[in-house]
Amino acid sequence: MSDETDVTRRRFLGLAGNAGLATFAARAIGVNTGLIEVLSAATKNGVQPFSFAIITDSHLFSIDNHKFDKALADAVAQVNALTPAVDFVMYTGDIAQNGREDQLVKGKKILSALKAPLKVIPGEHDWYLDMGKAWNGLFGKETWSYDHKGVHFIGLNSILVRDFWTGAGMTPVERMSTMEMLESPIAGPWGVRDAQLEFLKKDVQKLSASTPVVIFTHSPLWDYYPRWNFQTEDAPQIREILAKFDHVTSLHGHVHQTIYNKFGNMSSAGALSTSWPWPYPPVKLDYPGSQMNQSDPANTKDGMGSQSVSVDAGGATVAYEPFANSLTPFLKDGLKV
Amino acid sequence: MKSKNGKVYLAVGAVSIGLLGAVSLRARPPFTEAQLAEQQQELLDVVNHGRDLWHGSNPEMSTNGLACGNCHPDAAASNPQTFPKWVSEIGDVAPMREMINWCIVHPQNGKALDVSGKDMVALEAYAFYLYRGQKIEPGLAMPTPPDPVKSGVGFPHKPSGVGVDK
Repeated sequence: MSDETDVTRRRFLGLAGNAGLATFAARAIGVNTGLIEVLSAATKNGVQPFSFAIITDSHLFSIDNHKFDKALADAVAQVNALTPAVDFVMYTGDIAQNGREDQLVKGKKILSALKAPLKVIPGEHDWYLDMGKAWNGLFGKETWSYDHKGVHFIGLNSILVRDFWTGAGMTPVERMSTMEMLESPIAGPWGVRDAQLEFLKKDVQKLSASTPVVIFTHSPLWDYYPRWNFQTEDAPQIREILAKFDHVTSLHGHVHQTIYNKFGNMSSAGALSTSWPWPYPPVKLDYPGSQMNQSDPANTKDGMGSQSVSVDAGGATVAYEPFANSLTPFLKDGLKV
Repeated sequence: MKSKNGKVYLAVGAVSIGLLGAVSLRARPPFTEAQLAEQQQELLDVVNHGRDLWHGSNPEMSTNGLACGNCHPDAAASNPQTFPKWVSEIGDVAPMREMINWCIVHPQNGKALDVSGKDMVALEAYAFYLYRGQKIEPGLAMPTPPDPVKSGVGFPHKPSGVGVDK
């Protein structure tokens, strides 16, 4: 049974044509085994094992036939080829590069080829040209929650900054440009802010402690590298609200790299982008060594990709699905989060 | 005699003038504080120009919207202190300027800069400025992070691993 599933999965991945042979081997020994275990696992606490996928940070430009359009389409093909099929696909922000409606429309069109339902939250590149107007029109509310097979999923908009533009007399394009620059100190730290904290409090009030919770934000819910907004300012309050649960899984985009941390009841994992990889920031941290290989600039697919997440009553396993062979052995077996 | 003496005096005089000339050329008075500040400001102006170019101010450097800063925020992973070194994309030992032009031509699909032009000097100055204080290690294969803490201003930058620093 397991061999058959392995073969089927490898064949599908082969058709997707985005991964190297070494990655196939890694999937066969690591990721596939995890998925098979999920399929055969008994239902516990009302959780029926399943998997979903994450695509993020496509940073589409308005230019026709841009290489990032193709990269997003590749990720869609990669996710469509996953076996077993995913229940849904999560997009954790930054569809657009400059917040333009045409960029968001283009992204929605490419993502419409997904076979599974799509859930979306915004990133700063989607938002600050018109303060989310186009994004809301295309993708609906940015704050949401729903239950799926016994797991409670939450999506929040974590890229809200204090008003730095009105006083400075900035135009919408200037505001957007300021937000586009990762290391700009002008915008200051992001957060989800009071209204969404209230939403979160009410949302989880009646849930039992044993309910598995998965929360999606664009930025990490811990203090990774605030200078690049690899943080969420009110993450401590979010973690406090979610402290009653046995296990919370936080999944985020924005960092364009593999990253993992665990604190208290919350595990956190970052996602590969489909556009470009970011270097690891100049900080030394104590959590497990989860860095991917330094990407090769001559390989336009290195350091990018999508991810699949298998969920059961015991938690989740994040399997990075790189376009090229970017992963260290530690990462090839997937991250238990 | 007279003329001989006259020649001697002339010769001595010429040597003296020559020495004085040499001394006056070498013994330039030290720069004043104001001059040093002015020179440093000239450098910082070029660094700032480099910062703008790094973030896309010259449209000729890119036809796909990408700028240096997309992949190298704070010049991270550009490692100017490791050049010259073997650059596999170029197939030779190359200075940073050649690597900058490789990035402009390939990932950015733009037009290469004059390697000794003002824009190239500015890009180089920006990257080197962010990496100032780093040990010069030509050929070092592993990346050394820049130190944006010294160059940057703004919100907190030191991670605690969990909460938000204040």
